[in-house]
Amino acid sequence: MLLSIENIALASGILLILIGLLGALTNKNIIRMIVAFSIFDTGVNILIVTFGYMPGRTAPIIDGAKVTAQNIAQVAIDPVPQALVLTAIVIGFGVTALMLVFALKMHEKRKSLDINDYTDLKW
Amino acid sequence: MVSPYFLLGIGLGLAFLLGLLGQKARKSSSILILVALFSFVGISFSWLWQFLQENASVTQFFSAGFKPPFSIALQVGLHEAVLTSMINVMGLFSFVSLWRNMKDGNEKLGPILLILFMGLNMLVLTRDIFNVFVFLEITAIALGGLILFDEKKHARSAGFKYLIASALISTIYLLGAVLIYFSNGSLYLDDVMALNNMSPMAIVAVFLLILSLVLELKPFPANGWALDVYQGANPAIGAIVSAAIGSTMLFLLYKLMGMAAFMQEFLIAVGLISFIASNLLALVQKNANRLLGYSSIGQIGLIISIIGLKDILGDQFLFVAFMILITHFLAKAGLFWLSAMLKSDELKAWSVFRKKSVLLVLFGIFIFALIGFPPFPSFYGKWTLIINLAETHNYYLIAAILIGSFLEAIYLFRWLGYAIKVDFTEYDEVKINWEKLIPVLTFGALLLASGLYMAHLMPGIEDITLWPLLFILAIYLLDFLPAYIKNTISIAALAYFSFIILPPYYEKDLLRFIFLGIFAIGGILTLIAGYAYKGKRRGFYPVALLMYAGLIVLIQAETTLSFFFGWEIMTAGSYFLIIRGKRSMEHGLSYMLFSIGGAYAILAGLGLTFAQTHNIDILSLASVTVHAKLIFLLLAVGFLTKTAALGLHIWLPGAHAEAESDVSPMVSAILLKAGVFGLFILMIAMGKNPEVASIAYILGWVGALTALVGNLAAAFQEDAKRLLAYSSIAQLGYILFALAMMSHLGWMTAMVYSLNHFMYKAILFLTIGAVVLRVGTHSMYKMGGLIQRMPLAFIAVLVGIIALSGVPPLSGFAGKWFFYNAVLEKGWYFQGAIVFFSGIVAFLYLFKLIYSVFLGQLKDNLRQVKDISIWFAIPIYVLILGIMFFSAKPEWVLQPLSDMLTQWYPNTSLSFDGLYINSNFGYWSGTGVMITIMIMFIVLLLWLWILSRKVVKVKQFNIVYSAEAPQRPETTHVSYNIFAGYYKALGWIVAPKISELWNKISDFVVSVAHFGRMIYTGNGQTYLVHILAFIVVTFLWFLN
Repeated sequence: MLLSIENIALASGILLILIGLLGALTNKNIIRMIVAFSIFDTGVNILIVTFGYMPGRTAPIIDGAKVTAQNIAQVAIDPVPQALVLTAIVIGFGVTALMLVFALKMHEKRKSLDINDYTDLKW
Repeated sequence: MVSPYFLLGIGLGLAFLLGLLGQKARKSSSILILVALFSFVGISFSWLWQFLQENASVTQFFSAGFKPPFSIALQVGLHEAVLTSMINVMGLFSFVSLWRNMKDGNEKLGPILLILFMGLNMLVLTRDIFNVFVFLEITAIALGGLILFDEKKHARSAGFKYLIASALISTIYLLGAVLIYFSNGSLYLDDVMALNNMSPMAIVAVFLLILSLVLELKPFPANGWALDVYQGANPAIGAIVSAAIGSTMLFLLYKLMGMAAFMQEFLIAVGLISFIASNLLALVQKNANRLLGYSSIGQIGLIISIIGLKDILGDQFLFVAFMILITHFLAKAGLFWLSAMLKSDELKAWSVFRKKSVLLVLFGIFIFALIGFPPFPSFYGKWTLIINLAETHNYYLIAAILIGSFLEAIYLFRWLGYAIKVDFTEYDEVKINWEKLIPVLTFGALLLASGLYMAHLMPGIEDITLWPLLFILAIYLLDFLPAYIKNTISIAALAYFSFIILPPYYEKDLLRFIFLGIFAIGGILTLIAGYAYKGKRRGFYPVALLMYAGLIVLIQAETTLSFFFGWEIMTAGSYFLIIRGKRSMEHGLSYMLFSIGGAYAILAGLGLTFAQTHNIDILSLASVTVHAKLIFLLLAVGFLTKTAALGLHIWLPGAHAEAESDVSPMVSAILLKAGVFGLFILMIAMGKNPEVASIAYILGWVGALTALVGNLAAAFQEDAKRLLAYSSIAQLGYILFALAMMSHLGWMTAMVYSLNHFMYKAILFLTIGAVVLRVGTHSMYKMGGLIQRMPLAFIAVLVGIIALSGVPPLSGFAGKWFFYNAVLEKGWYFQGAIVFFSGIVAFLYLFKLIYSVFLGQLKDNLRQVKDISIWFAIPIYVLILGIMFFSAKPEWVLQPLSDMLTQWYPNTSLSFDGLYINSNFGYWSGTGVMITIMIMFIVLLLWLWILSRKVVKVKQFNIVYSAEAPQRPETTHVSYNIFAGYYKALGWIVAPKISELWNKISDFVVSVAHFGRMIYTGNGQTYLVHILAFIVVTFLWFLN
């Protein structure tokens, strides 16, 4: 099925990655570049979640009724990809925050957010 | 074993605690962090101790008692213990070096540094692929934090470029890590490595992981961001990036390569391209920190390729990789820390280190270590690497590695030359703070110690080679003493050493006895001249002794490794001797570059030899069967760079002429013989091989042309020392010609010329050097008439030129006699005629030397000049006695020589009959000739003396010249350009075509470098494009 949830997620993940990359490469404004990186990160995270998606399964919480210690491997999804994504989101947050601080400090000194103005170091 | 989780606990715990306590804890935070970093060092050292002393076994620790993949596994083995020890020591010293920055209101740096080094430890220890991602990001954020607080002008824009690059790279890693999990349900590295055949998805995953780690290691050309960080950030941060983070990432790559054997070729290619390209682009770099960045990328590239060579190097892999890694680690950190002491980024600003000689010495140690000179670890690493690559027939890789190393040597030695020679008055003085000095000093000492320790461990290096090095270290520590004391110590040491090792060689090996005699006796004699120098003469004695130590090791060497060891030590010492001259900066560099080029040719030749003989015994050269021509050629070219054969000679005139008065004879009369000795060894071993006959024939021609060009060029010099330098080129041309004849008589000629050249060139250079010290100029036309003021010097030069010209009765004639016999016997008439003709040309410059300097009219400003210093006169007259003895009783030396040579050439027409030496073509008696000429001389002298009683003495200007009574000496003593007529006729032969050729080559390389580095536009987005392009190209390569 073309419009299944996996395919939609997959397509939007890839689309976000491409948008993010394109944005980071074409925007000259540092803040816009950082936003583009966030979009890029989001795309990657969606992609990972999509890979870990198992249709028809439930959350891996042993409640004794639907999910028991015996059948957990058959009925529950694998929580590891989601744990990985959570970690990646947290780290992405940290990196974005640091990038913004850099943007702030760079702006303080030179009153410019144009990446082209920061090419003193070269060759 | 201490659990590695303590590292995690201490690092995170303290950093969070300090964050919570806020302002109150600021004051004491530095102390707490220092304690924490000390505990890191303690933990990793305890592991190291357990592995080295108690043979502990590799242990894995799992978090919370779960088994992987549900826990985070940390592994502690010997490798991890070594790496974490390196990193933690670096962490401690980074803290020390950033101490002042932290005290001045930036206490936040402390926790960031702690987290950074905790992250690096974890990257080394972890066996969990996803965990690697987490700690990659933690270190990236921590490094970003360090840069954020950096006050250097462009630090922040560089930091931003770094952040966006690392964000992209780590995302690729994340994708790889996730795909690994999906493909086999585990993130535990050991699980993945245990897989027998990987699914396509797993292959893609591993590809992404390795690719991102390679990108973290800054491969060319996707590394602009890293260069900007090196240049823009505080050099202390550069030290962390290059040494600590670089080593960690390399280890990580090595660890993960356990599952990616299919990417080995990729690593080799990427690593070597980075190595060559960044060393090439660095050639035109003027900013010290950026230069260090280029050099770091180059060295790391080399290690990446070594990781790729793991299977090829087999059980030598760890040794090679570690030797080069530890050198890079210690030297690069040291260099960045040195840079941190300076205000200016300019390369030339490093000249201020001259005021604090310890720092200059450290700088020298780091540079020599990076290039792979002995006794530093990288020397053994590179040697083993080349030998093993040759053994596995990877000749192109050898070529690539040597080319990259050579490029690196160019800019590093140019830089060292700036530090030694450039005027430093315009640069801010360097203020030494203890916290800046301690790290550099420790790392320099570690580098030296590890090298000496390695030499002790390495098979093929005799222990005896280390004692001279330790002695040199001691004499450096005594550098504060006045020169005459150090001179006495040096002479005593050299005399004692020769007394012990020289005599046994007389029975054992006459060839080595003679060359060792030249080096030892020549060394002592030229050192005696050093008493003429007042003051402390800082730095002279360690380097002079370094050269002599190298020469002695060279003679003693029984393995190709210790031969090469001695060769390099000798090169290093002589480089420093040469560059001491006033205007010697360029000459020192060109000497060094030719020497290194030659040394790499020798290394390649010895590697190829080892590939077939599997033996490092120096005699194994004789059993070469495959590639004999190539090996012979490589080794010969290596030795000919030292003897300055035509084409490889352009370094010599400047280097010898601009050197100090007592250094010129050292590097001319003595040092050049090292090349001759090498050629002897080579020809003894391989001369019988029929394949090399054609090359020997070519070498004969090279020798003949060298003799002609050298002598002609000498005749057209106005500078007395340049004249002697060109004369040396020509004399070494004779020796090469004679050696190439490959016959008993030819080698006799070569031996006689070597001995003679040693004596008369030492006499001439010492005398002219002493004259130069008195008159203050090298230009001969500014001298004249000095016979009246300097009779001692005049007699010495007269003896020297008679001996050199080869007229009877002095020993030069012996050389000529053997030469004609050898040429007639060999039938090389045409080449022989050229050499004969150049012998006649020699008269021109010898005449000029005595006429312009000593004859003619005394100049006004030299009327009060004194005769040469007694300290120069002593060695000169000892050598004159030597020449007289050799001339009067040549058979005492020649007969044993001839007997020795019969072991290689048993068929000889030469026979000794009392005072007579016979050959097929005639006979000669040195004693007879001497007596005859002495009688003639005495008769003439008496006759002149009788006549002279009638002579009326006149004043200097009691003459009429062109109908004019001259007032100035210059008008009656024409000595400028006296061979103008010959120059018109033959000057084209000595036109500097060869220098022009070399200049064109170097201009071309420089323009390529200029063009190539334009890719680093400074724009962060361009750098992103580079990274993406790198990924795409790599991906397409693997798709094929």
